Amino acid sequence: MSQLYNTIEPNVISEEMVQKAVEEQSQDDAGQLAKREGINFKDVTELQLSFRNILQIDNLWQFENLTKLQLDNNIIEKIEALESLVHLLWLDLSFNNIEVIEGLDTLVKLQDLSLYNNRISKIEHMDALQDLQIFSIGKNNLATLEDVIYLRRFKNLRTLNLKGNPLCDDEQYAPFTVAHLPELVYLDFKLVSDTMREAAILKYQYSTEPLKQVEAQALAQLEEKQAKQNELEYHETAFVEYLNGSFLFESMYEEDAEAARLAYLPGVDDLLQPYRKEFVSVCENLFNYGLKQYEKREAEVSDFYESLHEALTANQEQGRKIILEFENRNKRTLDEIQNVSSYDIAESKLAEYNEDILQLSETLMTLEMQTADQLEELIKDFERNIAVLVSTFIENVQGMMAQCRDLENHHHEKLLEISINTLEKSVKNELDKDLPDNVRMLFVDKNTIVNAVNASHDIHLLKIDNREGDILSNAHRWQASVTEKALQNEIDRNRNRVKEIIQYIDHLQEELENTETLKPPE
Amino acid sequence: MEVLKENEEEEQREEEELKALEISDKQHDMERKLSVDQACTPNDVLDFDWSSIDTSQLPSSYKTNSPKEKKLLRIADNFLQQYAHLCPDRKPLLLHPVNECGVEKFVSTTVRPTLLPYTELYDWEGCASFVSDYLTMEPLKSPIAPPSSLYSPTTILKYQRGNCFDFSVLLCSMLIGAGYDAYCVNGYATHNICTMDQTLEVCPLLRKPQEVPKEGEKKSSKYRVKPPPNLQSKFELQQEAKKEAETEAAGEKKERKEEEKATETEKPKCDPLYGLRVHAWVLVLSGKREVPETFFINPFTGNSHSTTDKQFLGIESIWNHRNYWVNMQDCWNGCKDLIFDLGDSVRWEFMLLETDEPHLLLQDVEEKKLFDRDMDNAEKEEEDRRFDMPPSWVARIQISPKEFQTRSPQGRKVILYKKARLEKWAPYLNRNGLVQRLSVYADSHCKIVEVREWFKNREDKLEMREVNRQTQLTTEHFHPGHLLGLKAHIYTSMEPETERTMEFYNKARADGLQKRVDNASEMTEYFVGRDDFLYFRHVEFGKRVKKIHMAGTRTDIKPQPIVQIKECFHRNLEKPADEDVAERIFLITEERINLTYHLNDKYITASKKNFLKRAERDRKGNETIMTPEMCITYQVGSSKTDKKLLHQYRLLQKLIEEEKQLKREVWESATEVREILKIREDEEADIKLTFSIYDRERHEKRRQESEAMNNLMEDDLLGQEEQDLDYLAPFLIQIGNTEKMSKWQASRIKDDCLTDFKHRLTHKANIIQARLEKEIEELQKKDWCYHENRNQLSMEDEADFLTYCSETMLRIRILALRLEREKQMAPQKYLALEEKLRKDPRLNVHLSHP
Repeated sequence: MSQLYNTIEPNVISEEMVQKAVEEQSQDDAGQLAKREGINFKDVTELQLSFRNILQIDNLWQFENLTKLQLDNNIIEKIEALESLVHLLWLDLSFNNIEVIEGLDTLVKLQDLSLYNNRISKIEHMDALQDLQIFSIGKNNLATLEDVIYLRRFKNLRTLNLKGNPLCDDEQYAPFTVAHLPELVYLDFKLVSDTMREAAILKYQYSTEPLKQVEAQALAQLEEKQAKQNELEYHETAFVEYLNGSFLFESMYEEDAEAARLAYLPGVDDLLQPYRKEFVSVCENLFNYGLKQYEKREAEVSDFYESLHEALTANQEQGRKIILEFENRNKRTLDEIQNVSSYDIAESKLAEYNEDILQLSETLMTLEMQTADQLEELIKDFERNIAVLVSTFIENVQGMMAQCRDLENHHHEKLLEISINTLEKSVKNELDKDLPDNVRMLFVDKNTIVNAVNASHDIHLLKIDNREGDILSNAHRWQASVTEKALQNEIDRNRNRVKEIIQYIDHLQEELENTETLKPPE
Repeated sequence: MEVLKENEEEEQREEEELKALEISDKQHDMERKLSVDQACTPNDVLDFDWSSIDTSQLPSSYKTNSPKEKKLLRIADNFLQQYAHLCPDRKPLLLHPVNECGVEKFVSTTVRPTLLPYTELYDWEGCASFVSDYLTMEPLKSPIAPPSSLYSPTTILKYQRGNCFDFSVLLCSMLIGAGYDAYCVNGYATHNICTMDQTLEVCPLLRKPQEVPKEGEKKSSKYRVKPPPNLQSKFELQQEAKKEAETEAAGEKKERKEEEKATETEKPKCDPLYGLRVHAWVLVLSGKREVPETFFINPFTGNSHSTTDKQFLGIESIWNHRNYWVNMQDCWNGCKDLIFDLGDSVRWEFMLLETDEPHLLLQDVEEKKLFDRDMDNAEKEEEDRRFDMPPSWVARIQISPKEFQTRSPQGRKVILYKKARLEKWAPYLNRNGLVQRLSVYADSHCKIVEVREWFKNREDKLEMREVNRQTQLTTEHFHPGHLLGLKAHIYTSMEPETERTMEFYNKARADGLQKRVDNASEMTEYFVGRDDFLYFRHVEFGKRVKKIHMAGTRTDIKPQPIVQIKECFHRNLEKPADEDVAERIFLITEERINLTYHLNDKYITASKKNFLKRAERDRKGNETIMTPEMCITYQVGSSKTDKKLLHQYRLLQKLIEEEKQLKREVWESATEVREILKIREDEEADIKLTFSIYDRERHEKRRQESEAMNNLMEDDLLGQEEQDLDYLAPFLIQIGNTEKMSKWQASRIKDDCLTDFKHRLTHKANIIQARLEKEIEELQKKDWCYHENRNQLSMEDEADFLTYCSETMLRIRILALRLEREKQMAPQKYLALEEKLRKDPRLNVHLSHP
């Protein structure tokens, strides 16, 4: 720090400072008006805090709608306390003492960032700034040319200033930068010419190509993941996630230790394969049925909302017509009342107008009542239909789950049979020798083997029950939420409308009163 | 030189052509005179004497029959005999009437398929309207019998007149040429059709487009809002409905009676010759050229008719360039029940057996029938029927561009429709570009209600003018491209500040103006596609303050005072509804500004802001500061405005600014109206027509210019070539620096040049000499050979030798001639070069001063 600043005390941004800065910005009539009324920091969109010897940023959280912030020519050492300025488009932090780029993660709208003349040695922590167009980071301590590659992620970056960094001493600096940022229009305040760009790209073809490939791959992976996620979400809204395959079956055997041992019994394998096949096919049926039902439900819901919208539009038009008629009728009434010569006529006109207002209020309210009744009926219908849909869905799901259970029971019986047979054989010592020891353990007596088979069976049934329960509860939850939402919307709408009518009538009456005061009775 | 000669030749040829044109023009004029008389009495036709036409110029095919044609005629006679035998009660067929040279020609050979090189004639509509416009209609000599003669289409085109058969043959030729499956029809039609009487028809230009009933897609949803309970008595409603129905029925009866009366008066008188009147028209079968359905074309009007049209009463026979079919179906019900499947030999008796045109649809049936026929019929007939139609005897149909454009004889045509009269002119015939005029009458004859005029090729892009005589309203329509994008102009008088409507091509204008309705006290403007979503602006003007204006001051420049400006905006979806202005009214005299915002979703009241500017004016001099009284706000959805005065102040400032701008715009609009009126007046006063740059005839001046240019260019080229050949260049190079050339050097160059030229001349002469000698030598050799072996030579060899001799002799003579000329020319050329060299500036300098 230079000698000059030693005499001045370093500052922290304080409320007073901000207040003063804001007031200084507006000097004209509007400003004075604003000053008299008091300024709400939320309304401020631009703020300049240059040359104030600020050491630490603070007290800016109120400026929620700030789009331009200038903090240049201070002695700031750390970027902080800017989290709430999410609408910021332009941030100027040049001529400070910043060493690390940080604290910018919430400024997703930022387009113009200046960090000129600081002490930054690495470009980092800027992944959130996807809209960045202009970036100035000249006169810093950037030393490695590879840092430029970091800037490739900013697809809108057109202007870059890196001048005055140690890395600029490298002869290859300019072509390297241009080759890696081919969309760049201005580099270090100079237009990038097409010939230069072509030459640079050709030169660094071999180093940029793999980068491009990696990026493309990453993008493809991301997309794939996204697609998968979307599909899963789609399945989840249909309540049949992970049913289009052997997921459920696998999960049944996953936690089942006994089944693994029982699988070694002779004949079990032959039993297991068709069982698995049938089970999966039932699951798939269920899955397809679920998707179909989902489409049906969606159609029902959209149908309802469409008619609701239609009804509401019609209602809005009707109301609008009534109001327009009223307004046209009474356009000149107030003026007339003011300009009428005799008090009696004025009075009678006033009364007439008042009557008209009340009449309007009455009409609007009646209309609203009627609409509310109609919509209530509509929503009831909707609820009923949804309930029917959900209950059919549940019934069918239960039916299919019962099929699964039957399959499991059947399998269980067969397995038990095999087990008993094997046990008998083992008692007679006719058993094959190649059974593992822990399997052999099962055949100590009848109870053990039966218990093992039963335990396996129980686990399977439990899994099936759980899955069924999930589907049912999800369906019920969906039903509740959909109907609740429709009802709530209607209630909100009704309240809003009533409020609106009352407010409008109030406004009219107030207007009327105001005119009355202007005309004192004789 | 040769080029020049060629040019001359060309010019000569052109002159000849021009002369020919003039001659034809003269003929044209003669005809015009004739047809002027004719136009006055369209029913009296006999004043054109066909027998006087000149047939001497016609090609020989017109005057004689080829053997094939003769055979065809025999076949036709045979066919006719059999036909007469089989159907004794039917009228004789029209098979081989005489042509203009008195030679019998079969009707099919009169059809000459031709595709004319005009894009308009590629479609049947274009062909039909051309034929109907181009030819003058003549009735048949006897209305109940086909004509005894049928002239070639070329003759018809030449004299531009003909009867229905001539019309049909010409149209059919053009349609077949254009690829349609067209046939000439000989049949019977009503009086109106036969005499080209369209006075009972509504003019096609007046026909209203049929309204296509829009079927609103009404999805029946199970969610339907139930209508509010109806509290009216149903009985009362019923009673009312009954009453209404009764009155309506009574009214309808009356109307019907009136209508009947009207139609009765309009109904044509009963025609004693109904069903006997012979007519010829064109049948176009579906299939080719994507024609979806078979239809008729009446060649007189060029209109298409469905085959079930009641006006066509029967068909005797049809023919095209390939064959001739006789209709064997009963026509008691007009043409309604006819089936146009020509492969069906029960319904259509053909004359020549078709060999190359299988009807795909009924191929099997046909083949079977053919087979049967083969068995039954005599072999000779079989043979006859397998005869191919000879090619048409008619020369190529040709229409010059000028004739094509002029259309009707003398370029004018009048058609009478029901309560309307349509006049057509050729383009450029009228100096104001008028091409069509439709006058609509109130009743059968008297008063003109409405006049519509169509224009073409006008420089001011005027397309159509409609004058309503009752309301005095004039509507002018313009093509795109008029100044300021004018599209239509509806007015009663051209004076400014009277009632008028101007429509504009909004895409051609920067401000997107679509329509401006204007009168003395107000102006309404409609906009389309503006960035600021403005679509409507209404301005009310006050009365002009009367001032004692001094002499010389112009009052019309002073704008009218504006009382109120109202603007409406479409919804801008980028803004929230209660910040998006829907309507703003500047009450200028009251110094108020009223803003109404767009409706928010589901709300029925709109936010409003009313500003009063007056308060600000009161404190002039002081600081202009906003007071809460200056702005009355109604904000939907919130009881109290939380917006600060600051915002309202800013808004007000902005609005005041915009008000100023608006006043300017309004003033500009008013000026624009005046300007347009002035321009229109100027244009009407001096009507100019545009000519296509490809139009040779009308661009006489341009053509001359371009010819002059061409000549100039050619001259230039020649001159350049001469210049390019610098005969001194090789010698100058030897010397090197040309500027420092001594006299000695100059004379040496001259000598060198001359000797070189002499060498060249002698060399050339030598070459010719050598060739000549060689030829002679060879000839002698051959001659010697010939004489040696004379006896052994065959006739052929002898002939060969003789031809060789004569060829060689020719060559020798030519070479001798060239040598002779070369010898004569050489000294002259030498002298010429010497002269040239003497005059050459480069050498001249050094040589002239001894």
